[in-house]
Amino acid sequence: MELIAKERDRVLQRGARVYGLGFTLVSALCFLLPGAAPDTSTLALGGLLYLVLAGAQLMLGVSRNPAWAVLTLAAGLGILLLETGVGSRDLGTGALTAMQLLVAGSLASVAIVLTGSVWRIIGLWVAFGAVMTSALLLITPATQAPLRTAGLVLLGWILAAGIGLWVTAGVPQVSKRIASIGRAHRAERQASELEAQRRQSARLLHDTVLATLTLLAHSGVGVTPQALREQAAEDARLLRQLRLGSTPTPQASGSYQLESGGEPEPVLGRTLESVKQRFGRMGLKVNWHGTGQVLLPSEVLDAFLLALAECLENVRRHSGVTEAHVTITDDETTVRAMVTDAGVGFDIADIDEAKLGFAESVVARLRDVGGNARLFSSPGAGTTVVLEVPR
Amino acid sequence: MTAGIPEENTLGIVVGNAARAVSKTAKRLGRAGARPSLGSQFLALGADLLVVLRAVYGLSWFVALWPTYPVPGAAASAWAVLVLVIVATAIASRVGGDTMPTWMFALVLTGIAATVVLDIVAVWELHDLGRTLTAATAAGAALLLVVTQRGATELLISAGVLGLVLAVAMFINTPPGTPFDADHLAPQLAAIAFAVLPAVIGVTVVHGYRRMVQLELDRVLVQSNVSAPRYAVGMLASEELARLDLAAERLLDSIATKKTALPLTPKTASIAASLATELRLHLIEGRRETWLYHAVSESELLGRSVTLVDKSALAGLLDAAQRDGLLSAAWMLVGDTRKKAAQNRSITLQLGPLAPTETPRTDHKIIVPITITSTGIRRNRVDPSIWAALGRVGRYSDSTENGSLRVDIEAAVDNPADV
Repeated sequence: MELIAKERDRVLQRGARVYGLGFTLVSALCFLLPGAAPDTSTLALGGLLYLVLAGAQLMLGVSRNPAWAVLTLAAGLGILLLETGVGSRDLGTGALTAMQLLVAGSLASVAIVLTGSVWRIIGLWVAFGAVMTSALLLITPATQAPLRTAGLVLLGWILAAGIGLWVTAGVPQVSKRIASIGRAHRAERQASELEAQRRQSARLLHDTVLATLTLLAHSGVGVTPQALREQAAEDARLLRQLRLGSTPTPQASGSYQLESGGEPEPVLGRTLESVKQRFGRMGLKVNWHGTGQVLLPSEVLDAFLLALAECLENVRRHSGVTEAHVTITDDETTVRAMVTDAGVGFDIADIDEAKLGFAESVVARLRDVGGNARLFSSPGAGTTVVLEVPR
Repeated sequence: MTAGIPEENTLGIVVGNAARAVSKTAKRLGRAGARPSLGSQFLALGADLLVVLRAVYGLSWFVALWPTYPVPGAAASAWAVLVLVIVATAIASRVGGDTMPTWMFALVLTGIAATVVLDIVAVWELHDLGRTLTAATAAGAALLLVVTQRGATELLISAGVLGLVLAVAMFINTPPGTPFDADHLAPQLAAIAFAVLPAVIGVTVVHGYRRMVQLELDRVLVQSNVSAPRYAVGMLASEELARLDLAAERLLDSIATKKTALPLTPKTASIAASLATELRLHLIEGRRETWLYHAVSESELLGRSVTLVDKSALAGLLDAAQRDGLLSAAWMLVGDTRKKAAQNRSITLQLGPLAPTETPRTDHKIIVPITITSTGIRRNRVDPSIWAALGRVGRYSDSTENGSLRVDIEAAVDNPADV
């Protein structure tokens, strides 16, 4: 509310500036025409006062300081005093027009900014009273009937004050509606956050999708088209389930254990079997050794399986052999997987780890859950990766 | 189903290019056009009242001048047309939506033109258009009836044309030999001013009002970040993720159903590769941005002039009141809508690095140093309410650096390591 009030004041200030300067300009033009001012000194002094008036109105547009409104009124009334010879001179049509534009147009612009607080409204009445009184006293009845002068001043000030009051009155309504839009937006943000969480937490699903996509990125080389199609169909089905709002859990297909379901500590062996099947389809025979009955918290299991799958994918792509060995061991604190192949191997110093996706997908994910990964290899001697996660 | 090429990097929005995102919503809601009116109906009602008031004033002059009219019929029909235009436009704009169709606007303009012509014809013989035109000058104010429904340029052009027509008519109408002095020219100038200025003022006020609504919308939408968790994914993340998932699903589906032949063409393979890369990035790197990053990148105003340096994501540690204070302060520092001032205004928000504390604190808090450096913001021009907002963030001290404001804040936050 506080900030929109500031913006509202800016709107009013700018409106007042345009209002005031517009009428000041026309009034000054009328004043400067030959015959409007009685003598040259009046003309010069009046022109100067018009400049002061315009300057004050310019500042009225950027500053909320009431001093500028006071200066505007003072300069304007000074012009009126000067032109009428302090009420002693009857005005011609031209001079009268200039004065009318001044008191009913230019000076009325301060009414636009004199709204919004009690003090400003009081200031509005004082300003209006001063201008009205001056106009009635200084513009002689011989120049124009007082009633007509009063009517014009009243109309000008009502129009200007009306703009200010109307805009001020409209702001609370708008502010209320904007606030309700804001509430709706906050709810939407929370929903978006939840949805993103749901999709991100379907990590295992994404892992298999990522593996398949990576395979496709290599044009599916090395895998039979039939196996790839089956894999693609399976992944597409799971993605569809995710899209339609459920968190997919495999039922009949049996080849994926994507969700840990209700079990707090899912069994490792069953999910290992699905990884094995998946790589089997792609042409990499995976041999399991060691324990198959390890219980792990689901986020640890997720990270462990992803890392394992990434290692196997590297074996499949880079080792040049079609067989890999995975040995699972565990003690009180740690579960360890050793992924070994008898492939070409490489010199660790030669290989940028990031290029293998190793740092990003294996190490980072394992470290997230407090685990670690180590890589051993040399050219011609195969590769061994040791993955460790805490129990 | 076909697999589309994913758009450019979808991992959140680069701050420099932040204008898309939510500000689009704010723009849509604040623009004349397909938007909820957000107060412009109320504003239009006020404009209608002003027009009616102005017309009543003009009518009273018309009645006073009645005996002098050489062609009273034309003057009366000018007013009849104008009243018809005012009533019909007011009703049409109540009934119709927030925009007026162009044909209707053309009709309004035609009515105004007819009024002007009839009124000029009525008093032509008097050779004193400045003091005898009544309906023609009130017709200029009638443009205010559509000020919330038509563009500013159209209205300003219409008002300008009206002023020009009146000026030309007055010039032709003035008999040769009339002296060039105030008594003859001033009333004519005044008449033109009364016809043109209402539209100009109306356009200014409505333009400012729209801007106010849009800024407030932008601010309120960004404000929703204050209640976000320490790390958030931003409004677009789930949408992006859903889009990537869908693209992957389509690609896989088209392979499964043999619509896409295997082995893949290099083009499709590269689509699969970029999908995989983006998905991986989204899944692994998705939650590294704080509420402040999202607030800055989603806001049109802040995105343009705020640079955020927050390597350790310390902004996430601030509590709701501190966030609100920081956001408000940033908003007010760059929120000066004066065009000249706004152009070179920019601030840099730097959070951290955490300094080692000399004395261990007992209240489980740590101090996050926040530095606000700015360009183009003079210390003595700063709005006083900014200090109150900064006070909500923490203890601050302000100084001047390179002629522009610099604020150092020490925000005490709950120590995440102590929880």
